Amino acid sequence: MTIADTFTIALRAIGTNKSRSLLTMLGIIIGVGSVVLMTSIGASVEELILGQVSSLGANSMVIFPGQEEGGGSQQRPGYDSLTFDDIRALEKLTTIKTVAPVIFVNGIVSYGREETTPEVMGSLPTFYQNQSITAERGRMLDDTDESGAKYVVMLAPDTATDLFGESEPLGKRVKVGDRSFTVVGITKPLGSQFFQNADERVYMPFSTAQVISGQKYVNYITLQAAGITDFAFADIKSLLRARHGIRNPDDEQEKDDFVVRSAAQAADILGSVSLGLTLFLSAIASISLLVGGIGIMNIMLVAVTERTREIGLRKAVGARKRDILLQFLIESVLLTLMGGAIGITGGVLLAALIAMIAQNFLAGYVFALSIPAMILAVVVAAGTGLVFGIYPARRASNLNPIEALRYE
Amino acid sequence: MTKPPLIEIRQLSKSYFNDEVETPVLHDVNLKIDRGEFTAIMGPSGSGKSTLMHILGFLDTPTHGEYFFEGQPTKHLEEDQLARIRGQKVSFVFQSFNLLPRTSVLANVMLPLLYQPGISTADREKRAREAIEIVGLTDRIGNLSNQLSGGQQQRVAIARALVTKPEIIFADEPTGNLDSASGIAVMTTLQNLHEQGHTIILVTHEKTTAEHAERIIFIRDGRIESDTKNFKQALAREGTKLK
Repeated sequence: MTIADTFTIALRAIGTNKSRSLLTMLGIIIGVGSVVLMTSIGASVEELILGQVSSLGANSMVIFPGQEEGGGSQQRPGYDSLTFDDIRALEKLTTIKTVAPVIFVNGIVSYGREETTPEVMGSLPTFYQNQSITAERGRMLDDTDESGAKYVVMLAPDTATDLFGESEPLGKRVKVGDRSFTVVGITKPLGSQFFQNADERVYMPFSTAQVISGQKYVNYITLQAAGITDFAFADIKSLLRARHGIRNPDDEQEKDDFVVRSAAQAADILGSVSLGLTLFLSAIASISLLVGGIGIMNIMLVAVTERTREIGLRKAVGARKRDILLQFLIESVLLTLMGGAIGITGGVLLAALIAMIAQNFLAGYVFALSIPAMILAVVVAAGTGLVFGIYPARRASNLNPIEALRYE
Repeated sequence: MTKPPLIEIRQLSKSYFNDEVETPVLHDVNLKIDRGEFTAIMGPSGSGKSTLMHILGFLDTPTHGEYFFEGQPTKHLEEDQLARIRGQKVSFVFQSFNLLPRTSVLANVMLPLLYQPGISTADREKRAREAIEIVGLTDRIGNLSNQLSGGQQQRVAIARALVTKPEIIFADEPTGNLDSASGIAVMTTLQNLHEQGHTIILVTHEKTTAEHAERIIFIRDGRIESDTKNFKQALAREGTKLK
C-alpha cells in the first residue's frame, strides 16, 4: 500500500459523500476564509494609514494649538495659543530646519456662479516644500507674493475643476468671501492626507491671510526637523512652555496648550492600532477554525462508526493498523486542506470585493493580502485536521476485525 | 518426511468475556485440514462454527490451545504478521457479501491487493480482471456494487477472495442471503474452484449447501460431534438433529 493509494482511498471516500464532506468543511472554510479576509482588511487599512502619513515625509512635524489635536477649532480652549512670536522663536531653534505656519481663512470660494467650500489656507513657501506641493501649471506662490501680501492664489486640482470645469483657470479672478484673487497656479494632486482630501484647497500668501482674517494666532504649524525628530520634539516643547509660562516638568500632555506630533510617531500609533485590530479579528477567526476542527472530528467519528464494517473488511483482507490509521488521518487532513483552499479563495474574493467598494469611499484604499497569514491559516487548518483526526483514526485502527465486521 | 497439514489445531478453546463473565464457545477442539480439501463445518446456530472459522482465518484468536498453520505455530504472531497472513494466505466470503458500497466491481476486487506490497496498479487491475472472469462477471466490471443482484454481489466477493491467490478460501454461510438459484450458482463457482485445487472451508447450516463439500464436520455446543467424508452417512446420522 503506497501513500498514493491511501490518497486515492481518502479522495474516493470524500467524493462518495460529497454533501457531507462539504458540510464538514464548512467550519474550516469559514474559519480560513475569515482569517484571510480579516488579515487582508488589516493589511489594506495599514497600507492606507501608512500611505496617508508617509506622504508628509519622515521628518515632518506638526504643532496644533489647544489641548487636543484637530486644528484650530474655535470651540477648544487654547485655540489661539500659537502666536506669530512663537513662530519667530521656533525658527531660531537649530534642531528645526523649516517652520511653516498656516492660517485658515473662512469664506466661500466662487467663480461666476460656481461656488465651493475648500480649505482656504494661508502659508509660506516653506509649507509647500514641507508638504511636497508643486505646481502642475502656472507658478508657485513665492516670497514676492508674501512680502507684498498680494491677492493671488493657487488652486488644488479638485477645486480648480469645481470652479472652472474644463476651462483654463490661470489668470482668472476668483472670490474668497468678498475679496478677489488672481489664480497664478494649479497644484499637482496630493490624494488624501489623514483621511481628508488634500486636493480641495486654495492656497494664498501667509501675509495676505493674516490681513484678511485679522488673526493674531495661527491654526497650526508644520515643521521639518533638521535631524533627529526626538531632539526637535524636546526643543519645541521646552521653548513653547517657557514662552507660554507653563511649568510641566513631568511632561504631562494636559498641562500644555499645544500638541506636537511627528509623522513617524503618527505612523507608529496608527500602525499599532491596525496591528491590534488585525490580531483581534484574527483571534475571532481562529475560534471559528477551532470550531471547524471540532466539527471535522465529529464527522470523522461518525464516519468511523458508519464505516465500521468497511474497516473490518479492510482488516480482513490484510490492512494493517497503520493502513487504517493513515487512511482516516489523510482523509481528515485532505478535508481540512480542501476547506482551507476554498476558504482562501472565498476570503480573497470577498476581500477584493470589499476593496472595490471601499475605494469609492476611501481614497487610497488598496487591495492587500497578508501572505504569512494565509500560510498560517492553511497550516493551522491542516494541523486541526491532523489533531482532530487522530482520535477517530486511532479508534478506527484499533477495531478488532471480527467485531467490526459484525457491527450493525 | 510428510508435509504437515495446512491447518492443525490442538486442544483449542475459545471463551468470550463480557464484564468478567466467561461464555465458553469452543471446548478442546482438535482438527486437521489438508491442502485441497473442501470441508463444510455444519452445526446449529450458536454451536461455535463461525467462531472456529474466524480463528482458523486469523480474524480471532483462541483463548487456549494451539493453532499450527502450514506447520508453524501462530501464537506469537504480531499484529502486522497477522495482517500479512490475512492478506496473502486466507480469504473470506461472507454471508452479507461486505462489498464496499457505491464502489465499482473492479475496485472491490482490487481491494485486497492494495494491502500487498510490491504490486503495481497495472498488475492489480490485471489480476482483478482475471478473478472477475473466473466468476463470470466481466460484463459487470464497471458497475457499482449496489447495482448488482445478491448472487452477483456474492460472486464479486468470491472474485475478491480469489484475487490474492490464497491458500484457503473461507466461506461463511455464502448462500445464506441468496435465493436458491443464486445460491446454486455461487456453490457451483466454489466447487469449480475446489476442482482447480483450491482449499475451501465452508460454514453453513444448510444441507443443500453442505452437499457440495467432500468432508463434513458437525459441531454442537463447541465440540466436534462428527467428522466424516461419507456425506450420506453423516447426514443420515445428523440430519434429523439439524431440523
